[in-house]
Amino acid sequence: MVLEDFPFMADLMTSMLREFNVGKVITTCSVQGAQEAVNLRNINGPPLNHIDLVITDLLPPQEDGLKFMKWLRTHKEEPVSFLPILFCSAHASMRVVLSGRDTGANEILVKPLTAEKLAQRLLYIIDKPRPYIKSSAFFGPDRRRQTNSEQKVERRTLKPEDMKVTHESEAA
Amino acid sequence: MNQRPPEQVEIIHRINRIKKKVAPGGNIEAPGFINPEHIKNAQSVVEKSEDTYKEAIASTLEKLREEWEAVKTSKSGKNTDEIHRLSNHIMDMASTYKYELMDYFGHSLRDISAKIDVKNKAHQTIVQAHIDVMLVAYAQNIKGQGGATAKELKLILAKAIDKHELENTDD
Repeated sequence: MVLEDFPFMADLMTSMLREFNVGKVITTCSVQGAQEAVNLRNINGPPLNHIDLVITDLLPPQEDGLKFMKWLRTHKEEPVSFLPILFCSAHASMRVVLSGRDTGANEILVKPLTAEKLAQRLLYIIDKPRPYIKSSAFFGPDRRRQTNSEQKVERRTLKPEDMKVTHESEAA
Repeated sequence: MNQRPPEQVEIIHRINRIKKKVAPGGNIEAPGFINPEHIKNAQSVVEKSEDTYKEAIASTLEKLREEWEAVKTSKSGKNTDEIHRLSNHIMDMASTYKYELMDYFGHSLRDISAKIDVKNKAHQTIVQAHIDVMLVAYAQNIKGQGGATAKELKLILAKAIDKHELENTDD
């Protein structure tokens, strides 16, 4: 599902996704429309009809895209709260990128939009899913990305006994 | 001394549903794949739609001009949210099609619109200067860096901003 308030860019994004053969693309220009689509499909619809991925713009100036992401991540139903999110923005500032990350985006695409960038972000979401972190202050994909050997310092300061690790089972 | 209890953190490893759905032949171990030909085709969709960009930018500039007139003359203190939104759309489109000068002006207006006082004459001049240079950039169909004309337009805008002491900081 694509949430974009500018029909021109929404059409362009949809056309690109169709060229990638991703299946059905739902486009909506408002947060309300996006919420209705998510509730309809991921709460009341069969799993086959679930929305698999949300692509949302920042939607300035009120930054409604972030509000929508927060709505998703705080939703009580798991088929909604765990939805992968690709957050797009023409704002390249650190504040916006960090807001996207801290609101629970799985990937961030800073515009301009190109087919290469879009394909790369989608493949990251599909191939490199990060575990979700649930704490009193945050819920969303693990914000630490560095997994190579250069990361020598463990920044997470919790003791192992304060962490609970859950693996979702197929039956869930 | 009171010590806060340690924060409980849960690390949740989910089933990769999206991968299961799209994996070729259901093989979730295989790396994800988008046919490079499809990526090329998707990019050519962008390139082919450049003509529609010209129409869309014209209509967005017109909406911007009308909105600015409405904001300036509003007695009820209409805010600049729509100016911000429209200039963001201009920037979004222009950057996609590499109209760098239009992108530059859209970006500048978007950032400035968040901090102006619409009743302040100096600020009004700055917004009007943005709209004027964008209309010139559109009329002359300036693409890329735009050469001497682009430099001149940027200079006009910079002078208008300097004169009225509104710092155009990047958001």
